[in-house]
Amino acid sequence: MVEDITTLVTALGFPSYEIFLAVMILAIIVIGAIVVITIIRPVLGFFPYTYPNARVRARTGRLFNEKEFSEIVESQNVEEVKNYLRGVPDYAKYIDTYPLEKALDSQLAETYDLIARITPDDSKDSFKFLLKKWDIKNIKSIIIAKEAGLSHEQTVDLIVPFGELSNKLDSLIDTDSVEEVLNALEGTEYPKVMEDAIPVYKETGLLLPLEASMDKYLLENLLKTSATPEDENTTLLHNYIGTMVDVANIKIILRAKADNIKYEDIEPYMVSDGYEIREWKLKELMEAEDVSGVISGLEGTDYAPMLSDAMSEFTQTGSMATFEKLLDGYVVKTAKSISLKNQFGIVPMIAFLSRKETEVKNLKIIARGKREAGFSSSMIKEMLV
Amino acid sequence: MVEIVLGTALAAIGAGLAVGLAGLGSGIGQGIAAAGSVGAVAEDPDMFARGIIFTALPETQAIYGFLIAILLLVFSGIMNPSLTLNVSQGIIAVGAGAAIGFAGLGSGMGQGITASSSVGAVVEEPDMFARGIIFTALSETQAIYGFLIAILLMVFAKILGG
Repeated sequence: MVEDITTLVTALGFPSYEIFLAVMILAIIVIGAIVVITIIRPVLGFFPYTYPNARVRARTGRLFNEKEFSEIVESQNVEEVKNYLRGVPDYAKYIDTYPLEKALDSQLAETYDLIARITPDDSKDSFKFLLKKWDIKNIKSIIIAKEAGLSHEQTVDLIVPFGELSNKLDSLIDTDSVEEVLNALEGTEYPKVMEDAIPVYKETGLLLPLEASMDKYLLENLLKTSATPEDENTTLLHNYIGTMVDVANIKIILRAKADNIKYEDIEPYMVSDGYEIREWKLKELMEAEDVSGVISGLEGTDYAPMLSDAMSEFTQTGSMATFEKLLDGYVVKTAKSISLKNQFGIVPMIAFLSRKETEVKNLKIIARGKREAGFSSSMIKEMLV
Repeated sequence: MVEIVLGTALAAIGAGLAVGLAGLGSGIGQGIAAAGSVGAVAEDPDMFARGIIFTALPETQAIYGFLIAILLLVFSGIMNPSLTLNVSQGIIAVGAGAAIGFAGLGSGMGQGITASSSVGAVVEEPDMFARGIIFTALSETQAIYGFLIAILLMVFAKILGG
């Protein structure tokens, strides 16, 4: 046997089989290293998501299913809705502390906060930036409260105790006017964000430019933070945020067309770069004559078929709500379709956040329906996203 | 110092490959499963026992590799100087080590990924436990193939029972 090997080795040009063995071992080491590196690399890509995804999936399991929503919708009044939520640990801790809407928002904000804390580094910037949503919501609530002359207590009831400005909220609430709120924001990024809108507010007294400039800041920067680094996870996140941006732009354009507002007047509020619907297309859409022209201009995109179907309802009711519900549903659908693409990376987090948003939105719809007279359970069910 | 013949030295490489690669796969797989289990337990403390079960599953590949390595060490003469292996047996020992090593590497990592997904599925929907275990156990087969081939190589090369 040894002689056979020696003959074979000599025939292959090796002076001795010891050298042949050394070469063979070296080859095994090299092949082994290539195999190990090739196998381990993709695993290292999703390994950081394993822990957050398990936590997110645990919370996904606690989201209300259709049957539970039906039970909540069948509640006799808001108090029953609150009682139901007292039995759900995620909501229970806020229900007795805050008014219902604030409790729901607080739970949602806590969820955003958790995701931003546990998400891996490559998507941390986007989720941390997303927390500014609560700062912006709080600033908007405070300026609206000041404009409407709400009391300190009424204003506090509108505030969600989360976000980077949570330490500053008391001083913002203690102000007496919108201008004082804007002054109290000195030292944060928001005076710069609203620098173009503040003169417009001072001139017209309209809060819309202030609110829109903050919304634009949030979406524009979310889109930027999710664009880098370019890997599969951030690409999927970018896709989701991009859809949110496009939907926000389409909503503004449809509303502007319905109200006969010019492009120059709404341009400052739009995320000009867009995602799939780029700047040139946005201009083209705004040049359309009316709402149906905007929908025709969207031909070739995923938005056109669903908006065309809703056109007859819009013609009858003149209500933008039909389009807005469809567009919001499209964002949810995008999250759902992304969730089918890859179960190991960022996807479960995107899908969960989208479903959680929808759950809170639906609970608010139910609460409003139960509070206002004339809404039957079936009507409320129709309104759910 | 005891002089080690070339065949025995080759078997030592085989033992290293067996426990090294299988342990690498098992370690990575168990790490992935454990990270998922910790996340699940953080949200639902009742998941501890089930998390431990899923985390323990990718351990088996390291055990197979360890067993083959021990057998090689014992029967090649490293742990028992009265035995020696010739060069051919040594090369076959390297093959046996590589068989369980690479099979354990792939199987361990695959099982860890499935175990982690199963933990996520169970914490979301507790009824998924049995099905999660079945899916996770499927990745075990590759390691068993590697283990069997390693044993057969050692038996027919007369390393074992020679």
